Amino acid sequence: MTLRIGIMSAAHVHADGYAELLKQIPDVDFIGFSDEDAQRGQAFAGAHGVRWFRRHEDLLAQQPHGVIVCSENRGHMELVQMAAAAGAHVLCEKPIEVSRERAEAMRDACAARGVKFMTAFPMRFDPSVREVCARVRAGELGQILAVNGINHSENPSGHRAWFADPHLAGGGAVMDHTVHLADLLRWFFQAEVETVYAEVGNPFAQGTLSVDTAGLIQVTLSNGVFASIDCSWSRPAGYPRWGHLQMEIIGERGTLVLDAFAQALTVYAKGGARWPEWVQWGSDPNRAMIEHFLHCIRTGEEPEVTWRDGFEAMRVALAAYESSDQGTVVRLSP
Amino acid sequence: MRVGLVGAGVMGRVHAAGWAAAGAELVAVFSRDEDRARELAGQYGARVVGSYADLLREVDVVDICVPTHLHHDMALEAFSQRRHVVCEKPIALTEAEGREMIAAAERAGVRFFVAMVLRFFPQYRLARELVAQGRIGQVGVIRLKRVSYTPNKPGDNWYLDHARSGGMIVDLMVHDFDFACWLAGDVTRVYARAAGDRYALATLRFANGAMALVEGGWANPPGVFRTAIDVAGTKGVIEWSSDATATIRTFLRQPEGAAGEVGLPLSPLAEDPYTTQIKHAYEAIRTGAEFAVTPEDALRALRVALAAKESARTGRSVTLQGG
Repeated sequence: MTLRIGIMSAAHVHADGYAELLKQIPDVDFIGFSDEDAQRGQAFAGAHGVRWFRRHEDLLAQQPHGVIVCSENRGHMELVQMAAAAGAHVLCEKPIEVSRERAEAMRDACAARGVKFMTAFPMRFDPSVREVCARVRAGELGQILAVNGINHSENPSGHRAWFADPHLAGGGAVMDHTVHLADLLRWFFQAEVETVYAEVGNPFAQGTLSVDTAGLIQVTLSNGVFASIDCSWSRPAGYPRWGHLQMEIIGERGTLVLDAFAQALTVYAKGGARWPEWVQWGSDPNRAMIEHFLHCIRTGEEPEVTWRDGFEAMRVALAAYESSDQGTVVRLSP
Repeated sequence: MRVGLVGAGVMGRVHAAGWAAAGAELVAVFSRDEDRARELAGQYGARVVGSYADLLREVDVVDICVPTHLHHDMALEAFSQRRHVVCEKPIALTEAEGREMIAAAERAGVRFFVAMVLRFFPQYRLARELVAQGRIGQVGVIRLKRVSYTPNKPGDNWYLDHARSGGMIVDLMVHDFDFACWLAGDVTRVYARAAGDRYALATLRFANGAMALVEGGWANPPGVFRTAIDVAGTKGVIEWSSDATATIRTFLRQPEGAAGEVGLPLSPLAEDPYTTQIKHAYEAIRTGAEFAVTPEDALRALRVALAAKESARTGRSVTLQGG
């Protein structure tokens, strides 16, 4: 069955990749995208050669089976409510929103209209990450003691300014980059985050940005594992790639090192913005994520990554800010 | 100058080689393990002495390479005899002991060098130099790794005894706490989680706003010793990892027990950092020059290590007064 799929808002950098994938994936009628920002809409339509709807209502009037919500973090709620009212299933960019209340409103809107809400955590669909999850769960490392996680990157506000707008993004680096690893930890260990401690600051854009650009977070999980998440925008512009997703998992039997984006060629080529540049050749986890979303629409199955997964990961980011403000450990209520 | 060595274990042997390379006269060795003392003394033409007091009578410089809980008393005794002291890290097990040692050296008017050897590792020195030159701007986030294997000293494995070594956080992570302070200054807040001595993660916040994640452990299989540096500043990043920069890699079957008693993170160099360190200490003592790393630096690193230990124990962050 061919599915009609649209993108709501091109604000997030990931919208570009999703648009190209939707053009390639078979049995998808990519109806286009909606964006109320004229400049952005025009640029995105030009870049991808897809239909631009100037109002979200007009895109939803095409009765899409599903939409990918790619607005600024604050604003997911309004678009998800509209999509749910129109009966469209939702794949929502991360972090799912900027507050507990706004996130819960999305859950309620989807439940009321019987549409699915899937959180866009592509790393869940990355083949290396999936293999590590299986091996950890199979006990290859013995009992797990700790995880040292890195998801640091360049400053994304160089690509889209709103990432450093405290109102629209709900924060800076912590809001942007905590959730991927928080989710993988919960998923690997089928456990919840119990405590959060964070040092948060703005060492990298003093005087130019008003949000945090660095965060070192430590969490403890309900299974006794403790873990760190480095969510800093600490890679400079021109770094060989946007950044890294790495996990070192320490178990009784030794260490497992995951470098999820290591499948790259190192390219030294004149005229590029990066020198050298790491050009990826691994499987695109975004593709598998979107295909799973389409599969769930077709079959009625629940997505592997739910609203709750997005919500719990967002809570870790919010708790990190709270911990940093208070200088203490924050305990998450179950 | 005449040097006397106390302790003939892993570090004693490494230091003895350093003294020889420095051109110092290693005259006496004292160890409770007489066989090891004889072997080491024979190698360098030194004499085995029967007591610490005998050793102090014969030398100008004492090199203390014994378990950490003995550092304080042995150093004080040496200072009371107006002997210069070179002492293995960590300086002591408590801050009060460390302070007392520093004060006693000053009163005696002799030199006191704590062997914080990481300061002599070329990649760490170079990273610090590049930071000092402003190549990466103001330091924002520091990540340091030091994950080795559990020391397996035959007989009395004192490293595992907190009353004597302070445990992994104090014995091993103290290196990177010192390096982080060297880059970013005084620490104001420490939070750490630990799985006993097997693994720990410590988050540091500095007075200048920078932050650090320091990873340490003895969780690896015997023979594996991984270290890494990642320093991010306002203008760039310095990255180094022992995984990626080995000049020689072997893929050989290892017999059981092939790993050393204690891991040393060495890389082929014209001069190993332990020798560089001893040469430096010897020259500075001989000429009266400043030490590249002071006992105050060693004490500051110990203070951070003890705060990390306390945080890991209580589950709460620890605020450090006055850095």
